[in-house]
Amino acid sequence: MNRPLSAIAGGVTGIAVMSLLLLFLEVETRSNLAIFESVARFAGMPGNVTFGFILFVLAGVFAWPLAFMALERYIPGGPDPATRGMVLAVALWVVFVLTGRGGLSGGLLAIYVIFTLLAHLCYGFLLGAVYGRLTSEGPLEPERYDPSDVSQ
Amino acid sequence: MFTEIPGLLVVTWALLGLAIYAGYRQNWQLRSVAADGGYLSGLGFESEKPTGLFRWLTTVDHKDIGVLYIVFATGAALWGGTDAMMIRTELFTAGTDVWSPDTYNALFTAHGFTMLFFFATPAFTGLANYFIPILVGADDMAFPRINAIAFWLLPPSLLLVRGGLVTEVLGKMLATVGVRWELLFSLKPPTTGWTLYTPHSALLANPQVDLVLLGLHLSGLATVMAAINIIVTIFTERGEQITWANLDIFSWTLLTTSGIILFAFPVLGSSLLMLVADRNFGTTFFAVEGGGPILWQHLFWFFGHPEVYILVLPAFGLVSLILPKFAGRKLFGFKFIVYSTLAIGVLSFGVWAHHMFATGMDPRLRASFMAVSLAIAIPSAVKTFNWMATLWGGNVRWAAPQIFCVGGIMTFIVGGVTGVFLASIPVDLVLHDTYYVVGHFHFIVMGVITFAAFAASYYWFPLLTGRMFNRRLGRIHGYLSIVGVFVTFMPLILIGYGGLPRRFASYPAAFEPLQQISSFGAVIIGVGVVIWLTNLVQSYRLGPIVTDADVWNLRESGQFSREWQWFETQLEERTKFRR
Repeated sequence: MNRPLSAIAGGVTGIAVMSLLLLFLEVETRSNLAIFESVARFAGMPGNVTFGFILFVLAGVFAWPLAFMALERYIPGGPDPATRGMVLAVALWVVFVLTGRGGLSGGLLAIYVIFTLLAHLCYGFLLGAVYGRLTSEGPLEPERYDPSDVSQ
Repeated sequence: MFTEIPGLLVVTWALLGLAIYAGYRQNWQLRSVAADGGYLSGLGFESEKPTGLFRWLTTVDHKDIGVLYIVFATGAALWGGTDAMMIRTELFTAGTDVWSPDTYNALFTAHGFTMLFFFATPAFTGLANYFIPILVGADDMAFPRINAIAFWLLPPSLLLVRGGLVTEVLGKMLATVGVRWELLFSLKPPTTGWTLYTPHSALLANPQVDLVLLGLHLSGLATVMAAINIIVTIFTERGEQITWANLDIFSWTLLTTSGIILFAFPVLGSSLLMLVADRNFGTTFFAVEGGGPILWQHLFWFFGHPEVYILVLPAFGLVSLILPKFAGRKLFGFKFIVYSTLAIGVLSFGVWAHHMFATGMDPRLRASFMAVSLAIAIPSAVKTFNWMATLWGGNVRWAAPQIFCVGGIMTFIVGGVTGVFLASIPVDLVLHDTYYVVGHFHFIVMGVITFAAFAASYYWFPLLTGRMFNRRLGRIHGYLSIVGVFVTFMPLILIGYGGLPRRFASYPAAFEPLQQISSFGAVIIGVGVVIWLTNLVQSYRLGPIVTDADVWNLRESGQFSREWQWFETQLEERTKFRR
């Protein structure tokens, strides 16, 4: 598959899983985190959850995957695109936490920080993994495991 | 200041700028393909099985079902772990300032259900499914289709037990497109505690409690089916060269466990249905004017205490199996480990009322339950000393599985000895329902039980995936987990000595420092789990391929056991295609 489409496919997978994870987190925390409010704040639409979420999904499906495709070789963590995707996702997460956290503090902020990081890592991993899988020419000869190697 | 700027815009513009720069550097050439190398599993070999999702939905192969169990258990563990982290967040401060008391009650209830019924039991059933037929020389489990049914009953039962959350997720998804269906919001997470004590559980109006009872009943059916399958497989499907005398230790413990399941779970099933009837059809099994709330406690713990051994015996089996492999010696006192396993299996049915010492039961009855509870420490100690004797003078290699085995023995000693104290009536009356109890059993469930599961996940990873994991990360995970368990649960023992009752969202401020240390420990365990998951997922995709079945150098100590011999023949068949 060509590279832009592969990247978008990765973005679709990633954002679908991430949205579901965030939704579960929202319900499990009995809406104390108001996750989708922070998504809206992150998207620059404070108070407008629906539009904010749509923008968030569009960015996750198109903007970031395409940027990932263009930037891939400069992102540390290669050659595995999934690792690079996670590195990119951590950068996205930093901005997400800074701009989306709203008035959270104390224990709620801790839960928010930890679990949004995990959700972002899932997004980055899936983005990179799907992209890598769709664009690869086939497996290179992988490394063999040597039990006598004690350096590991 | 940061909250004023939309982060999405910042990121998009920054990335766009970088992307333009990168495109400029790459002369705007979009290559249609990129060679990114080896993202296929090491198991690239021909098979008559259907491919993709269809294979996993229709499989009756014991190995595939074993993998399904393990994946399901991992998912449940992560979910239950999320509950645990939320509990520890609430307890970080003395007041009720993170979640509401109701949410807190729902959290420890869900945490208990999820971890006991949907993580620990399925994790070991999965390993049993994968390895018992191989270890006893059978082609498959005795009843492959029942095996598949037993697994496929678990996802719906988890869905029933935690259904309120799932329906609410659906409800919220529908709400975003403008449809609001109130029914989906009517199930609140249950706040009964995993012990479901009556009259509280009988009187709660929340309909989710009924779903929980039915879900647990369903999971019990699944567990019993799996147990029958394991028993019949070990009795009737053994290969010609496998006798009772040379049956391996893992099969022995799973056989005993399955025996306990066969006697314990039907009791749970009937009591659950009685409670359903009490709640919905006006029966009085557990009503004060009927059988009384104490009847529930008797029935529940007649299941509940053997359940403890259902969880821990497979873990003991794994420690007994894996520990000698990395000690370079045979398991010391094999026969006595088997006898002690069988003894625990029998005694486990004679100790249930030690959970009820504080209910005002007849003191003579109480004393006899105390005697049996103290007695069950003996076979447990037999195992511990045999493990130590196995290590004694051995050539111990500190690979990840061994770190978890030895760490599991350490935590089991603390968990076990604190349990011996609790078995003594006067001590129990002081410590009953305090954090001491929570600390005691978490040293076992998070200590030896989860540690054995981790040890097995590392030990058999090369066999399951055909690839090797990152061994350094595995060791780091091992040490982090041992430190994490002690830092998390030792403070709970001390808090219990201070007399703080469990299951309250708020507590006196004097306990705050110890609670905070405990929460800090939970974070250490959590970091370890993230390392474990990342390591195994990435190693499954990218790890070095195993070509020599003797990954753990077991031949030199004569412990190249049956599952590895089987793996060797598998590898030979696969490399025929490669060469």
